[in-house]
Amino acid sequence: MPQVEIPKDSWSGSVTTVTLGATAADGGTRSHTITVGGHKALPFMHFEQKMAHRPLIALEIKDHRPDDWSPLLLDLWGDAANDPASWAKAAESAGADALVLWLSQNGTDGKPTTPQAAVASTKAVLQASGLPLLVFAPGQAELDNALLVPISEATTGERLVLGICEDKNYRTIAATAMANGHLISTRTPMDVNLAKQLNILVRDMGIPPDRILMDPTTGGLGYGIEYGYSVMERLRLAALQGDGNTQSPMIVTPGAEAWKTKEAKVGHDVPATWGEWLERAINWETLTAMALVESGADIIVLRHPESMRRLRAAIDELMSVPA
Amino acid sequence: MADHSVHFDVTPDATALSETHPPTVRVPTGTLVTEAARLAGIDLGQPCGGQGRCGRCAVQVTGGDVRRRSTLRLKQEDVAAGYALACQSVVESDVTITIPLQEKIERRLTTERTAIEVSVPTGYSAAAQTMRRVAVQLQPADMQDQTDDWSRLQSALRRQTGIPSLSVSLPLLRRLGGILREQDWAVTAVIETDTWDHPADAARLVDLVSGHVPDHAPLWGVAIDIGTTTVSLWLVDLITGAVRAQVAEYNGQISRGEDVISRIIYSSKKNSASPLPSGEGGLIELRDLVLKTINSLLATACKRVLADPASVVKATIAGNSTMMHLLLGIPCESIRLAPFVTAVNHLPVLPATVVGLHIHPEGSVDCLPGVASYVGADISSGVLSSGLDDAEPMMLFMDVGTNGEIVLGNREFLATCACSAGPAFEGAGVQNGMRATEGAIEEVWINNDTHEPTFRVIGGGKARGVCGSGLIALLAELFLTGVIDRSGHFNMNLSSVRVRRGEHGPEYVIVWAADSQTGYDIVITHVDVDNLMRAKAAIYAGFTVLADKVGMPLEMAEQVLIGGSFGKYINVEKAVEIGLLPDRSWDSFKFLGNTSVRGAYLALLDRAARARIRDIAGRMTYIELTADNSFYEAFTSALFLPHTDLSRFPTVQAALAQNPKNLSKEE
Repeated sequence: MPQVEIPKDSWSGSVTTVTLGATAADGGTRSHTITVGGHKALPFMHFEQKMAHRPLIALEIKDHRPDDWSPLLLDLWGDAANDPASWAKAAESAGADALVLWLSQNGTDGKPTTPQAAVASTKAVLQASGLPLLVFAPGQAELDNALLVPISEATTGERLVLGICEDKNYRTIAATAMANGHLISTRTPMDVNLAKQLNILVRDMGIPPDRILMDPTTGGLGYGIEYGYSVMERLRLAALQGDGNTQSPMIVTPGAEAWKTKEAKVGHDVPATWGEWLERAINWETLTAMALVESGADIIVLRHPESMRRLRAAIDELMSVPA
Repeated sequence: MADHSVHFDVTPDATALSETHPPTVRVPTGTLVTEAARLAGIDLGQPCGGQGRCGRCAVQVTGGDVRRRSTLRLKQEDVAAGYALACQSVVESDVTITIPLQEKIERRLTTERTAIEVSVPTGYSAAAQTMRRVAVQLQPADMQDQTDDWSRLQSALRRQTGIPSLSVSLPLLRRLGGILREQDWAVTAVIETDTWDHPADAARLVDLVSGHVPDHAPLWGVAIDIGTTTVSLWLVDLITGAVRAQVAEYNGQISRGEDVISRIIYSSKKNSASPLPSGEGGLIELRDLVLKTINSLLATACKRVLADPASVVKATIAGNSTMMHLLLGIPCESIRLAPFVTAVNHLPVLPATVVGLHIHPEGSVDCLPGVASYVGADISSGVLSSGLDDAEPMMLFMDVGTNGEIVLGNREFLATCACSAGPAFEGAGVQNGMRATEGAIEEVWINNDTHEPTFRVIGGGKARGVCGSGLIALLAELFLTGVIDRSGHFNMNLSSVRVRRGEHGPEYVIVWAADSQTGYDIVITHVDVDNLMRAKAAIYAGFTVLADKVGMPLEMAEQVLIGGSFGKYINVEKAVEIGLLPDRSWDSFKFLGNTSVRGAYLALLDRAARARIRDIAGRMTYIELTADNSFYEAFTSALFLPHTDLSRFPTVQAALAQNPKNLSKEE
């Protein structure tokens, strides 16, 4: 074999280091914290720069048993999915690095989730599990504000991640996160410029960069993932080139995206060549997530523990390549 | 506390000084210069409400000194020359202060549009243009000379002008005998000596009247610019070259679509009221609408100088390619569809009756040539009137209208592109938008703390709406004072009654109903802000992409020449603050007003100018942005205040840092 000199890029910029969760020493109740970001090179390019922090895998749980999730997931979580505390425990014992509590738009009674119920769910999860926690509101501007402000105030100092800040609805969430020592997650629809713009907007409010995560939005495998991949890759390249408005660690939700696809959702009346349903669904989620890890994702939110185990094994391998 | 004397000197001619007050006042230490001025009876304009943001209250300290709390508006040279902002300067010793003329300050801060007075090109001679008026006395016919009337007239004209032969129309021949005999064979003829498409041997008798028209009597021509949103018409005396009336009105086609694309779509619609074959009803309707607008402008302009529209013998018309096609009733569907070609770029000179203009029935209509589907005759003539095609250094020319067309180049090369900005900068498509005429708010300042506006209305009366320059200022002020954020969203948490949720979502009230001419609140809505943002983003994206394609940084352009139907002036600073214009020295911008109608005017007056426009149209390299992925990227990047790439707008960033209110803390 001839000796080949591998060219090494050196970058002027780096990804911001962000720590999720606060332990008792820092005014929170988490058993430990997790730090992401800090990269000085493209992902897994260990020969250029050692990767500062490995990608983190979070599992998504809900405040009550969802009616729009795949039966494959509901069967797996079983009774644990009936209330957020038991679901949080189950997810922690399944091996999650962190938890995402994604609040439902309506309670079990069919009425919009109340601030009291949302605070109760959040507190129950914080008591049940010591993992760092991300709390996402349902995604309706007014309801989101109504739920996240009391949650933020009731959990001061926990360094939760509050989400999701979008361009039309970021002020209240960012303000309450700042006031109560939390982090925020921003989301923009698959566009480098829009991601930068929202980053500028939230930073204009005075929130420090080490409290911002950004979600560039992804599509499931076969449903626009290549576009999402390319946006993430360009954001990361811009970050490394020193563009301060693209340097937030990236959070993605391939679990939610993959489980929306027909391939993951449908178990019957599909061609036999599609293979066994559960295996196919887990593959879909894992492969979606894998592509995003390669493009620079720092926090990956999944729904199925088996996908998490497979993704973690792949990340282990990528991380173990000798420098 | 010590008192100090403040002596004011007022620049001669300033009317601000009241005679009843002495120009010297005594004030305690720490008094603002504006307060001292008020005590002295001097009215210093403070449009921004004394926040040190507008720079209108600049004064010159000519004896002693003051403490300057802020010099945001002043250059270092200014401060060195003793200038200070009266609202930001504190009296701490005896001083003498000179109040400069207010207009001078305004001039410094905004670039005056130069189009108000049109000067006749130097050395103009009526022989430069194609219409020639000749008074002749014919030898009466008698039994010895039975030459026919037409030959008799031709030979008389030949003797006087040297023009070997003339053509004539049948309607004129029918009237010929009567006119010749009416005043004993004394007649005045109007001859078109040549046209751009028939430069030789094409002389034509346009008009014949009995008697001798005095040499100094006007011979009328019109220069017209048909914009998608605004139609402008100048009535010109071809004898002296002087513009005798300037009129403008919204294009009557607006009700059938605000931009060229929707017009084209409408033009290919059937029209149930029309007996025409399918696909022509809309075209005829649009043609009628624009003709109506032009003919009514023609009547208005002629009325102003007591002329008869039927005495106008020539019309030279500029306009974008779609407008030109619609005027002539030429189907233009192909402009909209790939590969985006026009039916015709270089039009022959046409008879007025065929076109449908209510000028002299034998008059000529000269439609100027365009370059491509989206770079029309308005740009060819704009380049001529801006002088870009003859410039030594690199220049950037932009015509801000419903379509923003941009030309980069100099005498060596010309590259051009077009981007659809929408009609917002012409005051259309905006809830309370209007043209820059009486009653239009043309300048706005918003107070940083109270969010109350101060504004200036054209004509000085009550406001009716906001014109393009007012909208630019308004957008900038809303942004700088934190009423809207960088992406144009209203901050509904502000504690101002002027920010509210209206029928169309969030809005800001500029004028309350009680103070407006219309009796309704004058507002700018979220939708308006979006329209303005898209308009400015399209234009900025246009010139970034054009510069990229040419491979030259924008900075290389020594001057930025701006044409368009803006108001009396546009505030460069505000236009830079919203990211419409690139962030560069204000001196490098030059506002030319409506360059398209001015180019048409020059072509009307001079066949050499007409030839030059043809040459310009041929020289321009057209860059099609729809065939270019980078445009969309540049557009979304520019869809932010001032721009997503903040490093492109260093002075705006600096201003924001000095004025952190806009950085939207919760209130």
